[in-house]
Amino acid sequence: MEKYFDATYIMQSISMLLPFLKVTFMVASFSVLFGTIIGFILAAAKLGKSKIARNIANGYITILRCTPSIVLLFLVYYGIPAIGNNFGMDLNDIDKAVFVIVTFSLQFGALMCEVIRSAYESIDKGQFESAVSVGLSNAQAYRRIIFPQALVVALPNFGNSLLALLQEGALAYTIGLIDIVGKANLIIASNYNAHALEIFLALSIIYWILSIAIEQFFLKLERVLSKGKQSLKTM
Amino acid sequence: MSEGLDYKFLVDTFFVALSGVPIALAITIVALLVALPFGFILALTRINRIPVLHQFAQIYVSFVRGTPIIVQIFIVYSSIPLLLDSIFTKYNLEMNVYDVNPIWYAFIVFSFNTTAILIEVFRSAISTVSKGQLEAAQSVGLTNVQAFRRIIIPQTLVVALPNICTATVNLIKATSLGYALSLQEITLRAKVAANVGYNYVEAYIDIFLVYLILCSLVEYAFKRYEKRLIKYKAVNA
Amino acid sequence: MHEKEAGVIKMLEIKNIHKSFGQNKILKGVDLKIDKGDVVVILGPSGSGKTTLLRCINFLEKADQGLAVFDGIDINLKTASKRQIHSIRKKTAFVFQNYNLFNNKTALENVTEGLIIGRKMPKMEANALGKKALDKVGLSEKYHAYPSELSGGQQQRVGIARALVINPDIILFDEPTSALDPELVGEVLTVMKNIAKEGTTMLVVTHEMSFAKDVANRVIFMDEGVVVEEGSPKDIFVHPKEERTRKFLKRVLPEDFTYYI
Repeated sequence: MEKYFDATYIMQSISMLLPFLKVTFMVASFSVLFGTIIGFILAAAKLGKSKIARNIANGYITILRCTPSIVLLFLVYYGIPAIGNNFGMDLNDIDKAVFVIVTFSLQFGALMCEVIRSAYESIDKGQFESAVSVGLSNAQAYRRIIFPQALVVALPNFGNSLLALLQEGALAYTIGLIDIVGKANLIIASNYNAHALEIFLALSIIYWILSIAIEQFFLKLERVLSKGKQSLKTM
Repeated sequence: MSEGLDYKFLVDTFFVALSGVPIALAITIVALLVALPFGFILALTRINRIPVLHQFAQIYVSFVRGTPIIVQIFIVYSSIPLLLDSIFTKYNLEMNVYDVNPIWYAFIVFSFNTTAILIEVFRSAISTVSKGQLEAAQSVGLTNVQAFRRIIIPQTLVVALPNICTATVNLIKATSLGYALSLQEITLRAKVAANVGYNYVEAYIDIFLVYLILCSLVEYAFKRYEKRLIKYKAVNA
Repeated sequence: MHEKEAGVIKMLEIKNIHKSFGQNKILKGVDLKIDKGDVVVILGPSGSGKTTLLRCINFLEKADQGLAVFDGIDINLKTASKRQIHSIRKKTAFVFQNYNLFNNKTALENVTEGLIIGRKMPKMEANALGKKALDKVGLSEKYHAYPSELSGGQQQRVGIARALVINPDIILFDEPTSALDPELVGEVLTVMKNIAKEGTTMLVVTHEMSFAKDVANRVIFMDEGVVVEEGSPKDIFVHPKEERTRKFLKRVLPEDFTYYI
């Protein structure tokens, strides 16, 4: 195969890749959902009184921070069926997306734990105190005063974590998930490796635009939600 | 496959994985050596809004942060050989692109990536060091260069250190993608060892342990260093 | 319900309250009685336990020991149930040193939050009351301003309106002017004087001697976790009995401070 660079091929590949974005989105959405739940549990453990729970949460976060996504992905991919085997279950045939979602939920949970914890801690204790002092119950104080403020603080970090998830998620192709990266590699293989550069550039353009869009969305959202902070910004 | 872990393989392969550490570290160190000065300088162009360079740095950072590192690797790995090939043929050099050691590609990709990350790290760190510091340095007769070297940079480093630590750990982890460059680093070595007997679970446990140890050590070293810097700061305060 | 003693209605009594933070004993058996309509000012050097006393009364800190008699009902300050805590908080209001306005709510929302959520009052009614409370503290123009758009003095006045609006039996003031710039102290003290005149029961921790002198009907001097002496402002400022009180006053009273009867 003669190798040459053909810019028009980039546009062509973008249209071939775009339909597979929905696999990427699906996997990311589930990971965000489960990861956020894990993050809440870990953050509660870290902020709580139990020393054991705190140590477990800290250990979990350290371990996940030190594990490359691809290593975690393969540990899950090979490890879960192996564990299932020990209990007499055959887990080799479950959808590959499941392994991807498990991996990135675990990872996103560790990220979210820190996001949630730091947002919670950024809210002055006095906010809670004044809420209960005017007669709100503890639950009401959290729901109406602490949570809305913590959410705004957490938003930029949540956005960054989401971008990180999206990009680490690009590795899902390594276990054979056909998302946009998987599809890109399939196209290249079927082309006998011709035009690989164009397809990879197409891939990077899709990711780049997506990231910018997400970034802008979170900036806008932050601006809308940060009521009560307007004058801080103009100051 | 159901008879549990192969412990002998587990132990043997641990050392196979460990033997990939020097390559991972070499890439990390080269990338940091390139990224630290370039990141700092480009951060300054961002802060001082130097025309052209400032916009360039902005787009560069946006691209690196907006695209997966594996895609960056793919692009470098598929574009540079094309480039080299055309150069070699043009000047009739008797060289084969496929003889180039893949570690060079790794140096390029990871330096390229880490520089962008450090631009952002330094940008936010420099902006926390107040303008008054520079003005005070100038007021006692330091030149701009002296003020930066003696006043601004030391303070910036202290502020930036935790983020540099994170970037370093992420960099070490990212070297696991060296497989895409056929680089004989930690992950690929252990994986190849596993191919023989399908001992993938064991291999990945080994790889996992090696990264865990490596990254924990790096984090620990940074924490120690940070403590020393902060102590120094407190004594001075 | 009320215990009557010569026409005075006893509102709150605190008995033998103790509180430590780690090895630090902050309160070492403080007793306190407040009648309806009292304006009680607690004076004392920093670290004497004044603020901790106030926070324990409102259960913002849990006392190690102690009893509160509120409207004739005994409540153990250490072991009070959630419901008891909630009931005390509904009868008291707290004004914080650093205001602690809800950052995500406007002035009016800050004031009505306790009514609408804590007391399930219809929104219309709560808004009317809230506006009235804000008018009373001179903030008719600022209903819809967020805390970040208000000066410290204005924020503290919202804090006072927020306390007033729930019509508490007693308002606890924790150094309400300490965080303010000197030129903003006056507007807050004026508001406090006005509500004192209306007969609001107040327990005030402050360093404002003029407020203690002009507004309080009782002054308590605390030091090192105990009540050293208490009496009318005249007793304390003109005829202090204890050496510790004298020393403290000598140190904090301004040169031109004179007591007029």
